[in-house]
Amino acid sequence: MVTLSNRHSRWTLPMLACALVNFLAAQGLMLGGASWPWQSVSADGTLAAVHLLVIGWLLMLMLAALFQFVPVITARALPSQRLALATFIALEAGLAGMVCGFFGLGHSPALTLALPVGGSAVVLGVALALWNLSVPLLGTRGLTLPGRMLLSAECFLVLTLGLGLTFTLAFAVPSLTPSLAPLLYAVGDHALAGLGGWFTLSAMGVSYKLLPMFMLAPEDRGLTGDVVHLLASLGFALLIGAGLARTWTGSHWLRILQSSGEVAVVIAIAIFLWDILRIYRARQRPLLEAHNRAAVGAFALLGLSAVGTIGLSATGRLEQDAPLLVYGAVFGWLGGLGLTQLYKIIPFLTWLSRYGQRLGREPVPRVQDLVCESRAYRWFALYFLGVLLTSVAVLRDETVGLRFALAWVALATLGLIREYWRAWRAHYPGICQARSRPTPIIADP
Amino acid sequence: MTEPLMLDVRAELRKGGEPLPNILKAVGSLAPGQALRLIAPFEPVPLYAVLGRKGFTHTATRRSDGHWEVLFVPGGAPSAAEPPANGDCWPQPRMFLDNRGLQPPEPMVRILEALEQLGPGQVIEALNERDPLFLYPELQARGAAIRAERTDAGIRLLIRRAESVP
Repeated sequence: MVTLSNRHSRWTLPMLACALVNFLAAQGLMLGGASWPWQSVSADGTLAAVHLLVIGWLLMLMLAALFQFVPVITARALPSQRLALATFIALEAGLAGMVCGFFGLGHSPALTLALPVGGSAVVLGVALALWNLSVPLLGTRGLTLPGRMLLSAECFLVLTLGLGLTFTLAFAVPSLTPSLAPLLYAVGDHALAGLGGWFTLSAMGVSYKLLPMFMLAPEDRGLTGDVVHLLASLGFALLIGAGLARTWTGSHWLRILQSSGEVAVVIAIAIFLWDILRIYRARQRPLLEAHNRAAVGAFALLGLSAVGTIGLSATGRLEQDAPLLVYGAVFGWLGGLGLTQLYKIIPFLTWLSRYGQRLGREPVPRVQDLVCESRAYRWFALYFLGVLLTSVAVLRDETVGLRFALAWVALATLGLIREYWRAWRAHYPGICQARSRPTPIIADP
Repeated sequence: MTEPLMLDVRAELRKGGEPLPNILKAVGSLAPGQALRLIAPFEPVPLYAVLGRKGFTHTATRRSDGHWEVLFVPGGAPSAAEPPANGDCWPQPRMFLDNRGLQPPEPMVRILEALEQLGPGQVIEALNERDPLFLYPELQARGAAIRAERTDAGIRLLIRRAESVP
């Protein structure tokens, strides 16, 4: 028999709201000139903006979505909703501490101490989330591809956190960690473990579930899905493992291993994108909803990031232009996918909480009545175009163009947030029409 | 021996129509001993119970084009106890919903709307592609009893409305 006691996570919507605020705060720092692309990547403002983006925006978003999503793929409830709340509080409080700590580095010892304290709170929050998510994942026999990808991604999340905590200790209390000092040069591997191993693998897994579910396409990806999973996991593991080892020893073989990992990841992304194209083509719903249509922009930017990595690597500019690749991954692929899927998640959860008890008893709006897709298309198009314009402006060193492009992206983000807000407030369905009773496909004669 | 009567309901379903009246009409027009060969884009699992109670046995075959061909042969004893829900005595389902091929949350909406049409203690049977996780809390809030099982055709749900409807 199938488990019957699943409820939707009550903390998902507050976490999503908080994630969007963090996203705007990071964009504020970028637009105000306190962070990259105006400052160096190691500047206080850049470190604050980066962590607002990856912890405050992407991690909060991903965990909020997974609290909702893991019960769907495992048919098992989360062990604890209270732990989900604890994760939420620890992440946001820890992030606030970290941001204060970054701005206090070298100026205020008290504020600097907030960095490891905040980092520890983030680690605690994530550890609780990992337990909450892993129990249903590990307890499910015959876990499907999205679940298996999430488990692999979780390993990279543990690695990312371990490295991050080491950095905060090395930054804040150097005397405690002399032997870990070489690891400070492994910031790139920390970013790769987070953005690649954790976020990209889990976003791929989530895409493999959500896209077929709402487009009515085959969910079973067969060998193709397994190849993507294996190549991406192995590729990121090689890239990061060899990269970390190179901080202590300069063996020639490690460079070869790193290159092999890079190739494996690029092939995995290429196969994944081809498979996503197959899902779009095999869909039974001819009409694409806005979140799936706009998600094409995120997938395109994933492809562009992979091609950009190859190009920069071939021309020897990978290290120099790495921040731009990080920008493309955070704003284009991961952030873009997040924004597009929020356009389904928020109306869906709003619809459930507002109308669930009235379903069948009186006419209620449909989920799609809570949104106005034509308005959202405009903001999605502006957003992705703005991300592209920002990248071009950085590459061409166009100061005025860059400020304009950053403002463009922030405006598009605000426009989308207004649409989410309207969905949550049920702004659109005032014109809802009464629905007729359903005709069962087969009724007892 | 009379050839089976052929009925293809794919065009009807493509148009979004309801094929049951035609199926029942075809069953009513069968000569004594004549079988019905039904062609559908999916396996018409709920129909097995409906025609089973009329004494038909079935043999389902998936064709190379992915569609289903089911041969309903008369002559068996009416399966009054079909479908067996569990050990308890639940009444026969009053309504069958085939929710496969519907986008979430449409299966949930259809089930809740159908449930509200039932009298106290009556049962509906539904066949879903996916486990309707968001449906369960709503059913429990309405005091409905639920039995769910995973079958080859999908998730089979038996839902019984509360005896005293709130």
